[in-house]
Amino acid sequence: MSAGTAIVTGAAGGLGGRIGERLAAAGHDLLLVDLDPRVEEVARAQGAAFVIADLTSEDGVGAVVAAAGDEVAVLVNNAGITRDARATKMEEAAFAAVIEINLLAAIRLTLALEDKFTEGAAVVNMSSRASLGNFGQANYSASKAGLVGFGRALAQRWAPRVRVNAVAPSLVDTPMTQAMPPEVLAKLVEKIPAGRIGSPDDVAGAVAFLASDDAAYVTGQVIYVCGGRSVAP
Amino acid sequence: MGDQLVYRPTLPGDDLEALGSALTAAFVEVRAALDAGRPVTVVLRAADLEGQGSPLDAALATGVLGMVRTLAIEGAKPGWRVNVVAGGGDDDGAVEETVALLADPPFSGQLLQTGGANLGKVVA
Repeated sequence: MSAGTAIVTGAAGGLGGRIGERLAAAGHDLLLVDLDPRVEEVARAQGAAFVIADLTSEDGVGAVVAAAGDEVAVLVNNAGITRDARATKMEEAAFAAVIEINLLAAIRLTLALEDKFTEGAAVVNMSSRASLGNFGQANYSASKAGLVGFGRALAQRWAPRVRVNAVAPSLVDTPMTQAMPPEVLAKLVEKIPAGRIGSPDDVAGAVAFLASDDAAYVTGQVIYVCGGRSVAP
Repeated sequence: MGDQLVYRPTLPGDDLEALGSALTAAFVEVRAALDAGRPVTVVLRAADLEGQGSPLDAALATGVLGMVRTLAIEGAKPGWRVNVVAGGGDDDGAVEETVALLADPPFSGQLLQTGGANLGKVVA
């Protein structure tokens, strides 16, 4: 018996795909969403449904809502971009674009699905340790911190029917971090008490927990999946 | 230090586009003041940081706080001073007094809360 539909945005990437796998293993029917057409390949490998959609548009959100069916058990707002620059060099458009995709699109989709969430459904927003402040990421910090506040308020507004939480990763092993110069990556890892970069599995595990009944009494919270980086010097 | 900018972001209420505009405007205006050597104090509602009102007002409050912290990190060398005061309810006088204290602050990137509504609550 299905545990209900789980929607994962930003599912064409390694992290989104891994989150999908964990939710499928928990018995959910998957709906994978991305603007990147490679989401089709990920979905086929997982036997999942997919939608190629731009969540910054009403049409894109409408396409996801239409494909979601009538009972949504889990929504993972994972889609996001970076446009890093020091604040003094950051273009206003780069700031606005990151806010639009990382924050406003997630809010737009979440609110559009309100009537489809089942009793006990879970929304998991992908925040970031950078929400606490991070050099060169004024836009990204604002967008990911904004998701925290949005989730706190929505958790109270939609309780007890729907739980809303966030996961805040730090450095995760993705193609982007793999492309970093090794010496730069090593310096960043030095600041992580766990002594290593995070894996997509580390993050997906926290998402799966928050989406599960094991987290039935957890709402309005943030789990920092950062190897202790958020408390280290 | 130049004259203090006291910045109160425009609350979006239930208007999603207004949330985006308010966050971007906050970045542009706060950065311009810091670039000009002015200390900046951003005033937020404590209830919004705790998510006790409109979800979009909450997103604005925590979003601006995250941005302020990043600006403080980046501004360590040039000596930018940008902080947040959060209050509301019956402590408006305390908010204004705290804002005045931050006209020439010896620190940056900090959240100062007035009243006591935050006690026992999570506000990262």
